[in-house]
Amino acid sequence: MPQAAERKALAKGLEKLNENMVTLAELSELAIRKAIDSLTRLDGEVAREVFTIDQEVYGLQLEIEHNCVDLIALHAPVARDLRTITTSLKITTDLDRIGRYAKDLGELTLQFNPSARGAEPELKRIREMADRTIQMVDTAIDAFVKHDAESVRNIMQVDDDVDRMHDENFNELVRRMTEGSLKIETGARYILVNRYLERIADHAVNIGMRVVYMVTGDWLPRERAADRAKRIPK
Amino acid sequence: MAAKIHTDKVSAWYGPKRAIEDITLDFEEHAVSAIIGPSGCGKSTLIRCLNRMHETIPKTRVEGKVLLSGEDIYGLPAVTVRRRIGMVFQKANPFPTMSIYENVAAGLRLNGERNRDRLDTAVLESLKQAALWDEVKDSLEKSGASLSGGQQQRLCIARALAVRPEVLLMDEPCAALDPIATAKIEDLIFDLKKDYTVVIVTHNMQQAARVAETTAFMYLGHLIEVGPTRELFERPKETLTESYITGRFG
Repeated sequence: MPQAAERKALAKGLEKLNENMVTLAELSELAIRKAIDSLTRLDGEVAREVFTIDQEVYGLQLEIEHNCVDLIALHAPVARDLRTITTSLKITTDLDRIGRYAKDLGELTLQFNPSARGAEPELKRIREMADRTIQMVDTAIDAFVKHDAESVRNIMQVDDDVDRMHDENFNELVRRMTEGSLKIETGARYILVNRYLERIADHAVNIGMRVVYMVTGDWLPRERAADRAKRIPK
Repeated sequence: MAAKIHTDKVSAWYGPKRAIEDITLDFEEHAVSAIIGPSGCGKSTLIRCLNRMHETIPKTRVEGKVLLSGEDIYGLPAVTVRRRIGMVFQKANPFPTMSIYENVAAGLRLNGERNRDRLDTAVLESLKQAALWDEVKDSLEKSGASLSGGQQQRLCIARALAVRPEVLLMDEPCAALDPIATAKIEDLIFDLKKDYTVVIVTHNMQQAARVAETTAFMYLGHLIEVGPTRELFERPKETLTESYITGRFG
């Protein structure tokens, strides 16, 4: 059993870790919200803000990783302390990836030709998918902050909705490009947006499942995000 | 895996005070089982009941059954039980006036062994098993007390192994040792389980995590939780266990 002073140091370290994790989660979510905003309004200024946030996300992720390694090395944590630290270590990667996809979306915003505004139907679909994806990220992050395993137990079902939207969007984009009502360049960029949103949702699933483990110690049966992403659009 | 030792509702008293209550527990054969818990929780009392050492203290008594390979040890002569279930204590206690050789041979001599070749073989094998042979092979005639603390503890382990017990009980065997000596004992424990059933009482949770397949947590004389060590330290079922191992007690 850790001595009182050691316990105090560990508690302080965990508190700091939690603060950093909450900040990282908020930054990642902000990045994706701004990215979608920049995309729907084709606002380059907002897109550039996303790049700055992504840099902060990356820096904070590194700091958290070092914090986690220190806590493990110095305090040999067990039980829920151990689960909190290892879960944080894993979730930072998902949050960082979300930040990266937000940055990718921001880059796409800058590449879109303002004359691409002929793609309103696509934008509407993408907006709906983005709302659902952001909601998933929000749920997962909230569950992590509140240590609430119940709220994320059905996150994979919500992800199935996002996957379905992804498939429908993909098919629609291909159809419109084929019939010539949508420029190939614009359509191709929307396919990337579609893909990034679907991957962000997969990372939200990862976070949700890890929160369940952190809170309860249960490993939910899971499918690798990469495998989920490989599903061929029907 | 089969249980080498099974305790069935074992309770033990010091005078009127009950130190452990209704402990039912299995210790698997050829495995290391750890018992953890705060001071005074009854873990040492429990393992002293496993080889009838508890009754050597005046005004003590034990209730319940302790089965060794299905045989109730309280129906066997205590000396036989202690030969089949050896014990190593917190503080190394080699016989100070005896040589290293005689320390290891002492148990066999008590059991009537006089054949020098058989004694030599047993001493050599036991010291090798206790990972001490290479360090003492040229000084077997020296006093056991001349060895370092870690060596003395391994000498005591060799002494316990010399009578070929089936089970080895270890009560805080590394409590007085430095990390290097501790690592040697832990390596030794890891090797010993091939031939013996090992039960270790330890305050050091990381030690339990390192050496034991199964860990039991005791508190105020009760068995709170027992399970695979990995699970107990990663996802304990009981709040009391969680509070103890994470240092949130008190």
